[in-house]
Amino acid sequence: MEKAISLDKPMLRVSVAPHIQQKITTSHIMYDTLVALVPALLAGIFFFGFAALKLALICMATALACEAGMQKLMGRKLTVFNGSGLILGLLFALICSPETPWWVVMLGTAIAVILGREIYGGLGNNPFNAVLVGWAVARISWVDQMTTWVMPEPQFLLEAGGYIEDPPLSVLRWEGVDSLVDLPWLDLFIGNVPGTIGTVSVVAILIGGIYLLLRRRITWHIPVSFLASAWLFGLLFWLIDPEVYANPTIYLLSGWMFLGAFFLATDKGTVPVTGPGMIVFGIGCGLITMIIRYWGGFLDGVAFAVLLMNALTPLLDRLRPRVYGRVKQIA
Amino acid sequence: MGLKTSFSGVSLPPQKVSNPAIEDAPLPKRVVLPLGQNGNRVCKPVVEVGEQVKTGQLIGQSDDFLVAPVHSSISGTITAIRPWFDLSGNEMLSVIVESDGNDSWLEEIRTDEGFSDKESAQLLTDLKAAGVVEIGPPSMPLQAKFATPEPSKESRFLVGIPQTKPVDTVIINGIDAEPGMAAKGAVLTKYSSEIADGIRILQKLIGSAQMVLAVGSNGSVNSPLSGELAGLGVQVFRGKDKYPLGLNPILIKCVTGLEIPLPDGNEQDIGVAVVDAVTLLHLVEAVRDLKPQVEKVVSVSGAGITAVKNFRVRLGTLVQDLIEQQTGLKGEPVKVIAGGAMTGVALFSTDIPVTKDTAALIFQTATEAKSFSPDACINCGLCVRHCPSRLLPNELSKYCEFTMFEEARDKFLLHCIECGICAYVCPEKRPMLHLMRYGKRELSLA
Repeated sequence: MEKAISLDKPMLRVSVAPHIQQKITTSHIMYDTLVALVPALLAGIFFFGFAALKLALICMATALACEAGMQKLMGRKLTVFNGSGLILGLLFALICSPETPWWVVMLGTAIAVILGREIYGGLGNNPFNAVLVGWAVARISWVDQMTTWVMPEPQFLLEAGGYIEDPPLSVLRWEGVDSLVDLPWLDLFIGNVPGTIGTVSVVAILIGGIYLLLRRRITWHIPVSFLASAWLFGLLFWLIDPEVYANPTIYLLSGWMFLGAFFLATDKGTVPVTGPGMIVFGIGCGLITMIIRYWGGFLDGVAFAVLLMNALTPLLDRLRPRVYGRVKQIA
Repeated sequence: MGLKTSFSGVSLPPQKVSNPAIEDAPLPKRVVLPLGQNGNRVCKPVVEVGEQVKTGQLIGQSDDFLVAPVHSSISGTITAIRPWFDLSGNEMLSVIVESDGNDSWLEEIRTDEGFSDKESAQLLTDLKAAGVVEIGPPSMPLQAKFATPEPSKESRFLVGIPQTKPVDTVIINGIDAEPGMAAKGAVLTKYSSEIADGIRILQKLIGSAQMVLAVGSNGSVNSPLSGELAGLGVQVFRGKDKYPLGLNPILIKCVTGLEIPLPDGNEQDIGVAVVDAVTLLHLVEAVRDLKPQVEKVVSVSGAGITAVKNFRVRLGTLVQDLIEQQTGLKGEPVKVIAGGAMTGVALFSTDIPVTKDTAALIFQTATEAKSFSPDACINCGLCVRHCPSRLLPNELSKYCEFTMFEEARDKFLLHCIECGICAYVCPEKRPMLHLMRYGKRELSLA
């Protein structure tokens, strides 16, 4: 048959629907998250001086270099500029003590990028939170270097807290419930206590988390269910025996609880995406965190709680609302 | 009357509409009239090459009740009856008419005031003879929506839902669903008496069904129309500005609270018929004015036309001829889309005729045209958050990408209503909708 349509006209572009796209790209999401982490980093610098900034820069540079190297090696598209490597590096620095030696954070970040993320195929394909994989390896391998604490030295306005010389959770564990009676909750809230760079200041993390929520980069499900379940679980035991178990609010305000709820447990790709799945994920994180804090071998359970729940993510994605138009079928 | 349920979706960027009026597009020099709407169901041509035809003259007819008859949209000479491409590249037998420039009609158009006294069977016959087609998907002759359902659907395993039901709710869809579409709003504002007459005809056709007119949040029902609607007992449903409210499955859910049983059910199974407001206009012209459907109201936008314009285009007009007559077009369009910006089809050639199924034409210049990327999904969950069918598009798109179609079906791929939101929000710009359609097509062929 003679062809009806001549092809000597200028060719049209053919593409699939839809023909408009939202402007948001992966880089937007990542740089927003990075912006949300800035208050936590600033708080770290405020309380621990420029050692904190130095560690953050080392981690971010290492993460970028490892990411670029791995992508080159594996013949993949270079995506180092989308911000995900910077987030990984910065988060790693934020969960380390300001006294950690440079080679430890470097090795930890490299393990996070290479073994935690890139060998699985890069961003979004890693089953476990890459930052926490790197942290877990470093924490287990170099215990002394990872658990050396310093007193906060606020740069201006504030006096150093000085009530405790170790992070609140470790004081609670070793010296009992009464040891924290004098500690003002305001110190816990603003971060005037020993601890890791980015996790001491709850208020700074909260600012970043609320920014992410307002920008709709994360949803409320995981942070709210994480914090609420941890607090309610703590409340239950506090009511049972206040001599053994401390006030749940102290647990909420100390350690990695807020950083975990807003940043670690909302890491793209390693957490469920359905609403019910996210809520169960958050509840699981909260409960496992508290169980480890009460009876576990580690002082702060957030990292292992998130890693354990990461393993359940494919299962939790089965929890989903009913699909449109689905009706019961008989065989 | 408001929304019965909420749904996930997105707020699309608002569009400007230049003027709610509907202009007549210039008469084309030739038209290409495909003898069917979809697939391989086509009419038999009842004319021969070389024959003189007048506007509105029957040129193709079929016994199949899912194929609408075809009428000549201009007067002139039939130069060929041969296959021609449709917008997806399939060939369909088509009649080509060269215009004589007179546009002389077979019968003078007159308003038949007695339409309201006609029996419903007579109205249905008039409607069928005029070849009015409800735009898809799937496009079908309008009267097929109201016909008594065939008993062949008994193979469906539905519990608790009657398998076939007479229509008890008619929703007139006056919501311009997607960017690039503005015709429904224009029809509602400028043709209120036609809309009222159309509702009278529908009431006669369907008897005691409840009528609902759905308008968008910016769609206005002007006072003469609202008065008529109150007199006719029609409820007005005001939607909100959220895509995909204008798509039928979601609109039905929001108006009636019922869901179409998927994968293989349709709106008849829950006793609902949705009629497009533009189709309603064509229905009134067919039954009241006894004028076969030879025109289609098409919204045109893009490439310099920043505000959407509405045109009455003769069926069979080639898109190329429209471009040449379009004075508003600036710059060379590199992409031409038939349909809305979210679900439309990008044409591979401008030699494609406007059909009864064309709701809009969007011309995009090089800067407006978007492209997709082959990058991997990062599991951010944005598509899941926005999917109005509550699916997991991230997972489905991966299954389809790696040809695991059976698994995709088990994860409810066939429940996808193809609104395109997943691809719209995807930060990696993955061709999500394409992958879903690909998977559905492969499953339908298996």
